Amino acid sequence: MERNAGVTELNQIDLRSLAAGHKRTWDAFVTAASPLINAVVRRSLNSFRLSEDDVLDAAQDVFVRLCANDFRLLKTYDPARAGLPTWLAVVSRSAAVDFARRRRQATSPIDDVPESALAVEDVHVEKLKIPEGLLTERQTLILKFLYDEERDVAEIAQILKIDAQTVRSTHHKALLRLREHFREEVP
Amino acid sequence: MSTQHSPESDKELWQSFASAPAVVPAAISDMDFAAWLEGGLTEQEAARIDAAVAASPQLRLAAIELADILGKPLPQPSPRIAVRAQALVGFPAEKPASGLSRLLGMLLPSFEGGFGLQRGVMAAAAVMVAAVGFMMGGGLGESYAQEKYASVQSKTTVSNPLGSDTSDQLNDLFTDTL
Repeated sequence: MERNAGVTELNQIDLRSLAAGHKRTWDAFVTAASPLINAVVRRSLNSFRLSEDDVLDAAQDVFVRLCANDFRLLKTYDPARAGLPTWLAVVSRSAAVDFARRRRQATSPIDDVPESALAVEDVHVEKLKIPEGLLTERQTLILKFLYDEERDVAEIAQILKIDAQTVRSTHHKALLRLREHFREEVP
Repeated sequence: MSTQHSPESDKELWQSFASAPAVVPAAISDMDFAAWLEGGLTEQEAARIDAAVAASPQLRLAAIELADILGKPLPQPSPRIAVRAQALVGFPAEKPASGLSRLLGMLLPSFEGGFGLQRGVMAAAAVMVAAVGFMMGGGLGESYAQEKYASVQSKTTVSNPLGSDTSDQLNDLFTDTL
């Protein structure tokens, strides 16, 4: 499994040596991190219809960010809080989105911008406001994933690292609360 | 347990509410988001990130995409990515120099190119010093002229240091007697 091999190598990187700028450690890190950074950057730029050279430049931008200013960004990584691959994936996505915004501002006519990036919610529609504290943040998030993003229960369970049954029960409890609170307002 | 409503009516119910939160949650760091994605936060810590993700379609999309990528085998990237990235580290970075060291840096050669370059520069410097010294001393032409001048002087001014030359007179004496 390519991914397991890459992740294993990433987790074996000596972070102190890497942040000190040792060439050999940096080279090993680049080799191990390239598949993940490439995958994240490619996926993040997918809707922007950029060229292959742009994708390579965006991947390079991630590495530049990591080692810039004496590895300042890399030094913010805390191994006690998350694995290096997960943190690296988040950093890569942030960098790729920034890259796409810069490139779009510089070159793209408005017709080339994906509709999702320009979509604005219709603020003229009168909607009921959910009182603060009626739902927990987790309940709200699960309802958003289910109905706004149209994801199924298994996907949400994978994203939130919880059981599918927990997703179902959280969803059910949230709707019960909403129905109870708005029993008279909602037909 | 109430099961009288259908999933479609649940969706309609949800869509009848305003989706915008009353208070915009604070921005979250990449480190916080990564910890949240791994499900390693306490309930209280996770609630803050839950609120931010619920309020932001961009963060929800990020969570969906990253969870998908991190759960699948990764394709091999172009080798150009690694080659370019590896070149970022390992070369001496240009550092701001002080006034004196900047002046010395301009006047003196740099030996960062290796021992061979160092030897070459030293040899060239030695040849230059020798050449300048030789030129200041007058070079070959002047020393030859001085030597020639000295020999001419010795012939004209010091031709008979012991008085008149008597060798011809002695010769005549001997030849007359013979």
